[in-house]
Amino acid sequence: MSASAIFVLDLKGKVLICRNYKGDVDMAEIDHFMSLLMQHEEEGLICPVMAHGNVHFMWIKHSNLYLVATTNKNSNASLVYSFLYKLVEVFTEYFKELEEESIQDNFVVVYELLDELMDFGFPQTTDSKILQEYITQEGAKLEVAKTKVPTTVTNAVSWRSEGIKYKKNEVFIDVIESINVLVNANGSVMSSDIVGSIKLKTMLSGMPELRLGLNDRVLFALTGWSGDKGKTVVMEDVKFHQCVRLSRFESDRTISFIPPDGESELMSYRINTHVKPLIWIESVIEKFSHSRVEIMVKAKGQFKKQSVANNVEVRVPVPSDADSPKFKTSTGHAKYVPEKNLVVWTIKSFPGGKEFLMRAHFGLPSVENDEAEGKPPITVKFEIPYFTVSGIQVRYMKIIEKSGYQALPWVRYITQSGDYQLRTNV
Amino acid sequence: MPYIGSEDTVRDLRRVLSNPNVQSDQLRYRNTILKVIRAMSQGVDVSGLFSEMVKACATVDIVQKKLVYVFLCSYATLNPELSLLVINTLRKDCQDPNPMVRSLALRNMTNLRLPSLVEYVEQPLTAGLRDRAACVRRVAVLGWAKLHNLQTNSEIDAAVVNELYSLLRDPDPVVMVNCLRALEEILREEGGVAINKPITHHLLNRLKECDIWGQCEVLRILQRYRPQSEDELFNILSLLDVSLISPHPPVMAATLSLFLSLCSGLPAVGLAALERVRGPLLAACGNTSREMQFTALCHIQLLLRSLPGLMGEHYKRFFCGYAEPAYIKQRKIEVLVELVNDDNVAILLDELRGYCTDVNISTAHAAISAIGRIGRSYSDKCLEILTELLGLKQEHITSAVVQTMRDLVWVCPQCSRTVCSAVEGCEAEIQDSQGRHALLWLLGVYGEQVSSVPYTLEVFIDGVRSEASVGVKMELLTATVRLFLCRPAETQDMLGRLLHYCIEEETNMCVSDQALLYYRLLHCGIEETRKVLQCRRSDPSLGVLIGRPAEPINQWSYIFNTLEPLRPGAIETDDALTASVSAPLSLSLSPALSPEEFEDLWLQQQCPTIFRCSPQSLQAAMQLVNIQTLAFTPPHTLPWRVYLYTNTQNKHSADTCHGTLILGELLVKKNTAEKGIKVTLKQQPRDEKALKGFLSVLTTVLHALSSE
Repeated sequence: MSASAIFVLDLKGKVLICRNYKGDVDMAEIDHFMSLLMQHEEEGLICPVMAHGNVHFMWIKHSNLYLVATTNKNSNASLVYSFLYKLVEVFTEYFKELEEESIQDNFVVVYELLDELMDFGFPQTTDSKILQEYITQEGAKLEVAKTKVPTTVTNAVSWRSEGIKYKKNEVFIDVIESINVLVNANGSVMSSDIVGSIKLKTMLSGMPELRLGLNDRVLFALTGWSGDKGKTVVMEDVKFHQCVRLSRFESDRTISFIPPDGESELMSYRINTHVKPLIWIESVIEKFSHSRVEIMVKAKGQFKKQSVANNVEVRVPVPSDADSPKFKTSTGHAKYVPEKNLVVWTIKSFPGGKEFLMRAHFGLPSVENDEAEGKPPITVKFEIPYFTVSGIQVRYMKIIEKSGYQALPWVRYITQSGDYQLRTNV
Repeated sequence: MPYIGSEDTVRDLRRVLSNPNVQSDQLRYRNTILKVIRAMSQGVDVSGLFSEMVKACATVDIVQKKLVYVFLCSYATLNPELSLLVINTLRKDCQDPNPMVRSLALRNMTNLRLPSLVEYVEQPLTAGLRDRAACVRRVAVLGWAKLHNLQTNSEIDAAVVNELYSLLRDPDPVVMVNCLRALEEILREEGGVAINKPITHHLLNRLKECDIWGQCEVLRILQRYRPQSEDELFNILSLLDVSLISPHPPVMAATLSLFLSLCSGLPAVGLAALERVRGPLLAACGNTSREMQFTALCHIQLLLRSLPGLMGEHYKRFFCGYAEPAYIKQRKIEVLVELVNDDNVAILLDELRGYCTDVNISTAHAAISAIGRIGRSYSDKCLEILTELLGLKQEHITSAVVQTMRDLVWVCPQCSRTVCSAVEGCEAEIQDSQGRHALLWLLGVYGEQVSSVPYTLEVFIDGVRSEASVGVKMELLTATVRLFLCRPAETQDMLGRLLHYCIEEETNMCVSDQALLYYRLLHCGIEETRKVLQCRRSDPSLGVLIGRPAEPINQWSYIFNTLEPLRPGAIETDDALTASVSAPLSLSLSPALSPEEFEDLWLQQQCPTIFRCSPQSLQAAMQLVNIQTLAFTPPHTLPWRVYLYTNTQNKHSADTCHGTLILGELLVKKNTAEKGIKVTLKQQPRDEKALKGFLSVLTTVLHALSSE
């Protein structure tokens, strides 16, 4: 691992906060970071690893901040990036939004956190649920009692502390699937996959024991066991929250756990399968140099008639020098966003099986723009409630607690667009 | 608000800090300290407040303590004497009933980084190792490592080392992992923490308790373990199987790394492990974090060196998205080239074609040269695409295409006809020197196939005065002389003008010397000139071996899961990273070398060494000692020639990346009176010791061969 120091920089490269963990790299080395970055940017070769002499910078960018780790060892790069993302995750849970402002406003907490997260270049306590128990933003108030070490630091159930109480015991389960699709200009699907996650919002008292039942088809897919041939999908990249008893899952396929309090992600998975694009786009973009561009886009809902896609946005790229837009739509409305060189066609509700049409007309200047432009794809955004592509279903959620209270589970399904791209041939 | 300079700020802060009223009001005191830290974060030099801050650290308010410690640790090295005052408070805090305070004090005591304080720190650290609270033990264990780091030459008490070893059995997993980390640091001279059978099995059993950081650490350190029997080895491997397909990329990578080192004697098991991680690795390529994707791609490239077919059917996973950053696109393109086979070549080329017009110029170039690489096996389709790209009339694309075509023709001379008809007439679009360099080379070598060459060259010769690039001028000379040899009537006049200019007016020594050389050569007669220039750069029967053979895993396993694979450029050697320890020399094929790079470097380097010994069949033997033969003449031609290369590296310096590249030519002359091999070696960077080592390896091989 061995990160020598961690820096948080603003967009201009000014150090907002830093922590020198090992003391084997000169802290002034960070001054070279920005100039290196600029130099790489000019050459079009930005890279997440940059070297200056024998110092390597590994960096990520988050909103208007750079998080940089320096090292002079041949350290494990993937671990360093994981740690930087962990930092982002922890800070975000503390400050809701991680950006320059929140660092400035909370720098005491940031110092405290940096101190606990890493020592001598090695990650220590990185679970934000635990950290939140003894590093609080209310630290500014004088409260000596709060400085006790939480039992959870060494507890068996490290993600939940004892003595939590709610008046009304409820748990909300969200099953969210996002669809990633890449369609070629000639209309063939190049790649598609589903990224799903089950999120919990737990409002339960005490130390409840939960058991989640999923439908068989999904369970088989999870364990890689194929029931009826051909029908099963293979899930890869399945991750459970650390609270799930993996041994139990491996032996009898039950997902049992003591949930963390509040919001958490119970599991995530990815299904690499051929999905029929839920919203199919056919586009004809004709560019007549020096005079006009004509765009015709047809959107078709390729999902069940009973379902409705909400807040559909079809984003169609147009040349940067286009002007005087004219639109005609069969439903919804289209808007020209010149700063992004896009036409955004919004349809509030899009029932399955329906087909809609949008025509756009732009003028082009007679003097040609000689800047090279890429070929941006058409992207689509949508959200379909009460529906999952993989067919995953929550059969039951059993909640058992010593005190024997009754608790209600609520389930919600949403399918949404992820990276949904259709290439055009212009 | 009036502007306050840093000196005023410091003065104001000092006044407030030493005000007894403020000191008695905890909230005001803390807020003032907050202001000091804020000023410090903003880059104001507040080191002058050191003595005031030392006083402020004696408080019951833990947040205030933390703030003061942040300050003290930043400025302690500037004020070693005053820091002595803090030690007392810190030592008192180490006795505090609250474990949080104890661990805080202990951590900061070791973070002051003052060698003069070591004697005061040792006692609390020893006590810390036996503390009831795990969080104190965690800090104390790492504290010893910090202490050692502060004065590397001093011996750490053997009792402490023993205690650290016994803490490997601590109930808290973080303490256990920290012990490993600390021992690794303290015992670095002795090769790190000693890993024996009981420790290994203990660590493996507790692997599941650790968080991902801990798991990676344990897995890395276990790489040093050598199982005593095959049974034990397979027991360990089956224990590790779960982590091998872990959804956390770092854990997966660390496990694979351990697998490969455990199975270094069993290549088949190693290859099976690579198959096993295919799924998780592909998943890592789809990670939401771009940096993780990038890391995964770089490591996949390593794997492909040993198992080229590993990702074959998943090639679509490496198609680029529009918004992906250039560094990912370029790695993906490199991977795609490796995955080409008869079934997917059409789709793949179609996809790559799309990238050739990328807005990012270097991505476009990467895609074009990728098509050229594929062209070595599928030349017709690729040349068709490349020719089409010339039709776009885009400056940078044309230049890249011409360079790619040159490289392709070099390897596949049968493409020359298509290439010649394609490049005709594109000279107007090429502005950069590398592109023109490539074009001139093509025109010179294939002058008789392109009718308009004399006119093109004439334009170049007329503009030679304003030509800035030395390389282009030299290539122009060569091309014109070559053309003169096959089309003398059309070229004679302009050759004369060019030679005259270069000899009389050119200021660059290289260019004028080359012109003089050609001039004198032409004096010797046409036949002589032809011998020099048209006897090709290498033997016509000398063909480059297309496609690299699958490498054994241990060629790259030592850099797997480190920073090294992420570094751009395969043969960059950084002098700054040179290790000071001299270690036994070993040879390796990585970084690998392409035929073009080989030729380039061959022409650059000049330091021949000659010795003699007798010949036999070489290639297999060379492979055994990690010397790659890159090209050789057919068996019965005389003199028989072999070109080879290898990299030397210091085994001990896995932490740093350092090595030197050696290129070699073996010339076997059977017909001469004395049998013998002439060996020419070139090296970069120069390293006498490595060269000697290489020679001894080579002689051993050759002697072994001749004694057969």
